Amino acid sequence: MKLRLTSAIFAGRSAAKLSRTCGYDGSSLPGMLARVFYPPALKELAAQVRRDIIVVSGTNGKTTTANMIAGVLLEAGFKVISNREGANMISGITTSFIMSSVISGKIDCDYAVIEADEASIPDVLNNLSPRVVVLTNFFRDQLDRYWEMEKVIGVIRDSLRGQNQATLVLNADDPLVAQFQDTTGLHSHFFGLAGNENTSKVNTQTREAKFCPFCGSALVYDYFHYGQLGAYSCPDCGFKRPSPQVEAIPLGMADGLSSFRLTCQGETVPRGIMEIQTQGLHNLYNALAAFTASKLVGIDVQTILSSLKKYRPAIGRAEKFKYGNKQAYLNLVKNPAGFNQGLRTLCEARGTKDVFIALNDNFADSRDVSWIWDVDFEMLGADHKHLKHFLCSGLRGEDMALRLKYAGVPAEKIAVNKDMRRAIKAALGGKAGATYIFATYTALRPVHKIVKSLVEKRDANDQGMSSVS
Amino acid sequence: MIRACHLYPDLLNLYGDRGNVMAFQKRCQWRNIPIQIINKSLGDTMDFSNYDFVFLGGGSDREQKLIAADLMKRRDQFEKAVENGLVVLAICGGYQLLGRYYATGDGRHIPGLAILDLYTRAGSARLVGNAVIEMKQAGAPVKVVGFENHSGHTFLGGVKPLGKVLYGKGNNGRDGLEGARYKNVFCSYLHGPLLPKNAGFTDTLIRLSLRRRGIDQDLKPLDDIFEERARTALLGRLGLKAN
Ligand SMILES: [Zn+2]
Repeated sequence: MKLRLTSAIFAGRSAAKLSRTCGYDGSSLPGMLARVFYPPALKELAAQVRRDIIVVSGTNGKTTTANMIAGVLLEAGFKVISNREGANMISGITTSFIMSSVISGKIDCDYAVIEADEASIPDVLNNLSPRVVVLTNFFRDQLDRYWEMEKVIGVIRDSLRGQNQATLVLNADDPLVAQFQDTTGLHSHFFGLAGNENTSKVNTQTREAKFCPFCGSALVYDYFHYGQLGAYSCPDCGFKRPSPQVEAIPLGMADGLSSFRLTCQGETVPRGIMEIQTQGLHNLYNALAAFTASKLVGIDVQTILSSLKKYRPAIGRAEKFKYGNKQAYLNLVKNPAGFNQGLRTLCEARGTKDVFIALNDNFADSRDVSWIWDVDFEMLGADHKHLKHFLCSGLRGEDMALRLKYAGVPAEKIAVNKDMRRAIKAALGGKAGATYIFATYTALRPVHKIVKSLVEKRDANDQGMSSVS
Repeated sequence: MIRACHLYPDLLNLYGDRGNVMAFQKRCQWRNIPIQIINKSLGDTMDFSNYDFVFLGGGSDREQKLIAADLMKRRDQFEKAVENGLVVLAICGGYQLLGRYYATGDGRHIPGLAILDLYTRAGSARLVGNAVIEMKQAGAPVKVVGFENHSGHTFLGGVKPLGKVLYGKGNNGRDGLEGARYKNVFCSYLHGPLLPKNAGFTDTLIRLSLRRRGIDQDLKPLDDIFEERARTALLGRLGLKAN
């Protein structure tokens, strides 16, 4: 048996070497091959994790949340295996374990933090039997690739039943996530954001959950944070937002850090001020999920907070660049809820802005671009005085431009340029004080590369000039 | 004043179909044609005789069921208004709902409103992808672009198709037809959403809605460069000629 595991690892690693030589990133082929050679490979590798396995899933924020948790565990001095986005299906996850093992089939790690695609959850749970499962939120995403959201939720729920070793870490503010405590019967810890002056009484955004998941009555809200996230209750069966174990109260923003006071079970946490670098509500939720999961596996509060404060967003997660004197922000956009959050952050920031959007329609982006009509670009149209130029690019740049026109952005402010480099250069070089860059999944890496090279070129030019003067 | 009714906007909101109402509304406003958007949902009173244009989109299975039950109570006045020239655009789930029934995989027949003579059968393969149809607008053939995503296969009885399939699958992947047309009722599987990129079709609906108000007027031409670029860009990618 041991022999088969080692041969599976060998096959996987050779494949990884080979696919890298051939120019692929080698993230799923090795795992796929290893699983063909020896189906229990992942299960046997995972069983060697000394402490706990943490699985993170949900629609938005799984990459950031998993990275934050891994960061905390590393800061606490543990050895951690993690996978990265794009490798979040079963073969990619297997690859991550193979690459962390030695050829004898041994792995040396305390924790595994695994981001799992929603559709892969049944396989992942079967193989990993995690101690903690974090669910971030559920929004519609890439409907032509997956099933409808309710079916996704049903599959995750069914596969969680029987995972009695698992504790759930759930978003209290999302009724679609919070229902999992009752539907699975598993022990659950909730995190949430308290109502505050920024919460609204009405919801203008597309929201996914209108009905009680238990009795089908229309949910009633005290307030909304965004989408269906907020303080909900069912008038008929009593299902309501659970009171969270970990709750954040916003304190404000200073020096690029957003800070929050944390309460645990209603009690203020001593020195419990959580500071995070990124803007926007969605990253707060990611940090809260990471805090709750880390605390659950026994990491002390100050270690968690110090690690979260240092957390830098990954590529395209409100990633910051400096172009000359100008701030630029790069955001990955995958679905209406995430895009709305990005736009709201843009609208709330002071000063003038240029905007660049790359819309692709490859398989991983959603081949149907209709979803951009569910994004509330109207907030840009209503406030376009501060918005100087909109540059649209990508395979469906024309569709993006059309959407902006119908959102009320004056046509003369909108341009389509399919030459991505030129379009980004124009957006960075515009007169506005800041540039907001949005890219769909398959456009993210090329856009990131171009932005980085333009930023570096600009830096080199600046230095060249100063040495002359 | 055009009175446009958006049916169940809170429930039927898959695939950006609200963009159809936005396009209809904006193209009226840009021409200074007064328009009122009336949102109606479960349990609201509806008066179809009073509307000029009705938009019905698609939703998930659960929502679709709630709506079918709610609309069934108003079926007769809806049908009467259709016979009297009410302009209707029904997409995907809404399209299926106007037909006689939906036959599920296990042989059950879920009744529809039976306002149009057509029926839908659950198919084994989901029909998904970019789609182009050719339809007649003011007597001339025009290519209309969109994206289809449906597992129901629809078959037409005594109604005309909206157009013929140039690219994609259409109603059922077999007969080369897409959508349905009966009096002023237009049905289609095309998302995209359908109206923004196909401005000529939107204007046809506006013209018919005005006529229902008793106004027979030529529409002021608009600058449609963005609309045409989006439409022809997709045609180009699919290897089809632009006109
Ligand atoms: Zn209930």
